[in-house]
Amino acid sequence: MLPIDAAAHSSRWRRRHPVEKALLGFGLTLCAVCLPPWPGAVLVAAATLVVLLGPAGVAGRQLWRAFRVPLGFCVTGAVPLLFEVGGARGFVALAPGGPVHAGELLLRTAAASLGVLLFAFTTPVSDVLPRLVRAGVPAPVVDVALVMYRIIFLLLDSLSKIRQAQAARLGHTTRAATWRSLAGLGATSFVRAFDRAQRLQSGLAGRGYDGTLRVLVPAAAVSRRFLAAAVGLLCGLVALTLVLERFLP
Amino acid sequence: MHIAEGYLPPVHAAAWGVAAAPFVVHGVRALTREVRSNPESTLLLGASGAFTFVLSALKLPSVTGSCSHPTGTGLGAILFRPPIMAVLGTITLLFQALLLAHGGLTTLGANAFSMAIVGPWAGYGTYLLVRRFGAPLMVAVFFGAFVADLSTYCVTSVQLALAFPDQGSGVMGALAKFGSIFAVTQIPLAVSEGLLTVLVMRLLTQSSKGELTRLGVLTGAATKRREEAGAR
Repeated sequence: MLPIDAAAHSSRWRRRHPVEKALLGFGLTLCAVCLPPWPGAVLVAAATLVVLLGPAGVAGRQLWRAFRVPLGFCVTGAVPLLFEVGGARGFVALAPGGPVHAGELLLRTAAASLGVLLFAFTTPVSDVLPRLVRAGVPAPVVDVALVMYRIIFLLLDSLSKIRQAQAARLGHTTRAATWRSLAGLGATSFVRAFDRAQRLQSGLAGRGYDGTLRVLVPAAAVSRRFLAAAVGLLCGLVALTLVLERFLP
Repeated sequence: MHIAEGYLPPVHAAAWGVAAAPFVVHGVRALTREVRSNPESTLLLGASGAFTFVLSALKLPSVTGSCSHPTGTGLGAILFRPPIMAVLGTITLLFQALLLAHGGLTTLGANAFSMAIVGPWAGYGTYLLVRRFGAPLMVAVFFGAFVADLSTYCVTSVQLALAFPDQGSGVMGALAKFGSIFAVTQIPLAVSEGLLTVLVMRLLTQSSKGELTRLGVLTGAATKRREEAGAR
């Protein structure tokens, strides 16, 4: 299982309805993207961190491990904004205001990523997918996504075992051997994916499969109190940003 | 290259979502038709999507000594066709955002447009064109994967340039800036992905002829010729 999904399955908010967590997590992401980065993104990031590490009970180390991936992309993506090309100051020169733009972008992407991580760390994908049919997503698409979700973990597990076996047989010692091993990995995962699908097909056919995958969705009631608190937090962040924007430099 | 969560301004994020929507809806209709007329294809399509996800998790050695990962869109489009790849690619991007924190939800439209739409269509078009000129399957597969990878990154460069025009030279300057960054790193990677895809396809033609024939990549006659050659 992937670390974020494993953490979501054992999350303190696991039994909460996904709509509640979506409103809070995606609402924070939306605030981070739409509000001015200073001070909006800073406030959103701070609020999201407090919720993640406090009520949601996400472990700090787990959060950092997941967060450093998008943070790396944010930093790499912000670097080009520091330079300008072909302007009056030369072919490549430091852009005036570049550090400010890069800093704002970094704040915005970091805060927005934390919002999505709040949802991902508290809601397993298996809780979300079956409910998408009610949101208007065609059932066949949801069924395909469900099968994908189930096979992904099996394939990743196989892949890691094959990689270990290849390494034990000196499959990564030279560049040529690495390429051969990689091609073997790709081809084997294709064969295993199709083999798994055929075995699933045989198993389901024996149980009277009629084209619909029926999944037991754990019952969860939407808490009005949680929704009200989430809306209150989002409105508070928007109001505080608009007020602080007038007073801060 | 996934555009990270929150990287694009709201208007750009929404505009790319609108641009991607018709292709994804077209793919959803194609997929729904396929599943309704042939219920067991749900499992096959799910397996195909999982394969696309796993393919993007393979670490590819880069010329600079670091490593990157293949986009998998070229191979996916050749095996499963671009309309289906638009849906599978979008679901894959959604899973990557939620399970791996790669990409994002506000940038899902932009990422889907480059990776699940332009990449597969450009790669598949090149594959068909090269095949039409009578080139061998593996040559067509190489160019299909190469173009799919490179076009994905070109579109990403355009998306970034439109969102962040250069202060001195505008959108064209920004395009040159982002394009040159990607060109240096991505042309060797596109070649690498082309070579890897050829190696994977070579193994598949040996081990999974049935599936490739069912998917329409190999014709029945081609499979028979290969079997006869193998027997000889």
